[in-house]
Amino acid sequence: MDFGESFQMAVKTLAASKLRSGLTMLGIIIGNASVISMVGLGEGGRLYINQQLQSLGPNILFIVPGNRETRRLGGLETSRNLVLADAEAIAQQVPSVVDVAAENTTPGLITFLNRNANASVIGTNPAFITVRNFTTDQGRFLGDLDMQRNSAVAVLGNALAERLFEDQVALGQSIRVNNVTFEVVGVLAVQGSNLGVNYDDAVIIPITTQASRLVGRTSPFGIEVSFISATARDSESLQTAEFQVTNLLRLRHGIVDPAEDDFFIQNQDTLLSIADTITGALTLMLAAIASISLLVGGIGIMNIMLVSVRERTQEIGLRKAIGASQQDILLQFLIEAVILSAAGGVIGTLVGVSGISLLSLLTPFEATASGAAIVLAVGVSGSIGLFFGVIPARQAAKLDPIVALRSI
Amino acid sequence: MSALITLQNIAKVYGSDNTEVKALWDVNLTITQGDYCSIMGPSGSGKSTAMNVIGCLDRPTQGQYLFDGQDVAQLDDDALAIIRNRKIGFVFQQFHLLPQLSALDNVALPMVYGGVPPAERRQRAAEALQRVGLANRLTNKPSQLSGGQQQRVAIARAIVNRPLLLLADEPTGALDTTTTEEVMAIFAELNQGGITVVMVTHEPAVARLTQRVVWFRDGQVIHTHMDPEEISYGTLVG
Ligand SMILES: Nc1ncnc2c1ncn2[C@@H]1O[C@H](COP(=O)(O)OP(=O)(O)OP(=O)(O)O)[C@@H](O)[C@H]1O
Ligand SMILES: [Mg+2]
Repeated sequence: MDFGESFQMAVKTLAASKLRSGLTMLGIIIGNASVISMVGLGEGGRLYINQQLQSLGPNILFIVPGNRETRRLGGLETSRNLVLADAEAIAQQVPSVVDVAAENTTPGLITFLNRNANASVIGTNPAFITVRNFTTDQGRFLGDLDMQRNSAVAVLGNALAERLFEDQVALGQSIRVNNVTFEVVGVLAVQGSNLGVNYDDAVIIPITTQASRLVGRTSPFGIEVSFISATARDSESLQTAEFQVTNLLRLRHGIVDPAEDDFFIQNQDTLLSIADTITGALTLMLAAIASISLLVGGIGIMNIMLVSVRERTQEIGLRKAIGASQQDILLQFLIEAVILSAAGGVIGTLVGVSGISLLSLLTPFEATASGAAIVLAVGVSGSIGLFFGVIPARQAAKLDPIVALRSI
Repeated sequence: MSALITLQNIAKVYGSDNTEVKALWDVNLTITQGDYCSIMGPSGSGKSTAMNVIGCLDRPTQGQYLFDGQDVAQLDDDALAIIRNRKIGFVFQQFHLLPQLSALDNVALPMVYGGVPPAERRQRAAEALQRVGLANRLTNKPSQLSGGQQQRVAIARAIVNRPLLLLADEPTGALDTTTTEEVMAIFAELNQGGITVVMVTHEPAVARLTQRVVWFRDGQVIHTHMDPEEISYGTLVG
């Protein structure tokens, strides 16, 4: 009896009990669908974060308060050492740096007439819009005069403007930020969430105004900032800029030992590699969890095959009586198991791919079904069928035909 | 006529030491080619055990069994499977048809294991079904056939590989009188065509349709050549 015959026979047997075959496959289907969609989701997340980081531009530097080591260790230390004056010094004294923006973010309650909204209040300087590569949709961005005069002017994120004003014109209106009145001078174009800050749902005001009217002095060294972003002249001068900014800040902060740094600098590359490590680990974890369901599916196949062997002892005995060899029986049951799992793998893949397509529609992630994940899932489920099919198939092959025939 | 089956001092013992059951003990029996005999005896006397040994489904614990001139004890499981496939046909009391297969596919099954090409299989299976009078039931599943028809499908399956020997363990045990007669007519016809037929039965009326009766008691052959006419309900008890 050759392989083709065994295959046809297995298909016939499986087709004869469609419900059971379907239920047996279900475990593998779910396993495959989850592996593929989870890996797709992880990949989509990685892509999304990469895109966001890429959109920052290759020349940007982020100067963040705190010591790199203690921050990484999860220390809750809140360094107040980075101030607006640092940003100004960088802008003036570091030749390889073009623009410098300082940002200080606090939560705030925004009110227009009787409408309220909770939003981030971001105090920054006019260079912000060029450094971060943003654009305004209406009106203007903050100007140097606003800074000098501590003007109560505000630029609204797109979504916030929509929420507060709906169809009304926002420009020129008065809003209240934590009970201080500001005039709306501009609305940002849609930016999307960016490094965890949703600029669409934020109100942007001069950092000087924020310090003097909203938060007061929080640092002994000047106006405190959450972080400073700076653009280097070009990607070649990025290293130089990082070096010069480091030296300048150490000088200003009186730091001799680099281990004592109270700030650290990140560029697109370091952010990308951090993000890659995190999303890679995440994807792996998702895949590992999903693989468990694949394993459970495999065990399900073994379970059903064992039941099937028991139920079909008479059939096995009969087949042996009329001339089936041990190998014939072994092959028959093994092929049944592999067909179940491989078919489950293919169906699960289709389900997974459609799930991913759905995810890309519903989330900002452009999740993709990676070819590698598909090949892996189908291959793995086929092998799972083979692996978990061996025990039942051997049991069937070893049955004594007399005992098998006698069982009723 | 040459001997097809030669059993010499055959014993089949189950269990060991104090749980020992001698299902067969010192059995000597010769069945020649073209014989048509029935095996009778009380329940538990070893008839089915003897059939299993004769049919190469089981090996004796002791003794020598020559089938078609071959010492079966020397053969491994796969070789025995080939002998069963090519030279022996089985008919069981419970028919043992595969429910998911049509009558034609059931009959063709031994040829699948015998390596017969598909086209020839279909043709020979159809012929065999025609021989047992089921030419118009080829595509029926077993569940769509009567008991007698199912047994005829089983007979067709048993003869489709043109065996030397047809073994039937209580083939009419599950059938009524009319269908029993039909099945016996088929057996007689097959025997006429040259196939050796050995059949276990409890019914004297059935045994009377065969040429001779082999009588078992307590795992031993008491008579090897009883005249079927001598069988009465009285002897059946003993
Ligand atoms: N696998 C086994 N293990 C132990 N004892 C067995 C086994 N198979 C059969 N026997 C015993 O061997 C003896 C003969 O059994 P066998 O089935 O050959 O009887 P039989 O003549 O066919 O009976 P019946 O007419 O009821 O079918 C019985 O005593 C039975 O209990
Ligand atoms: Mg019996």
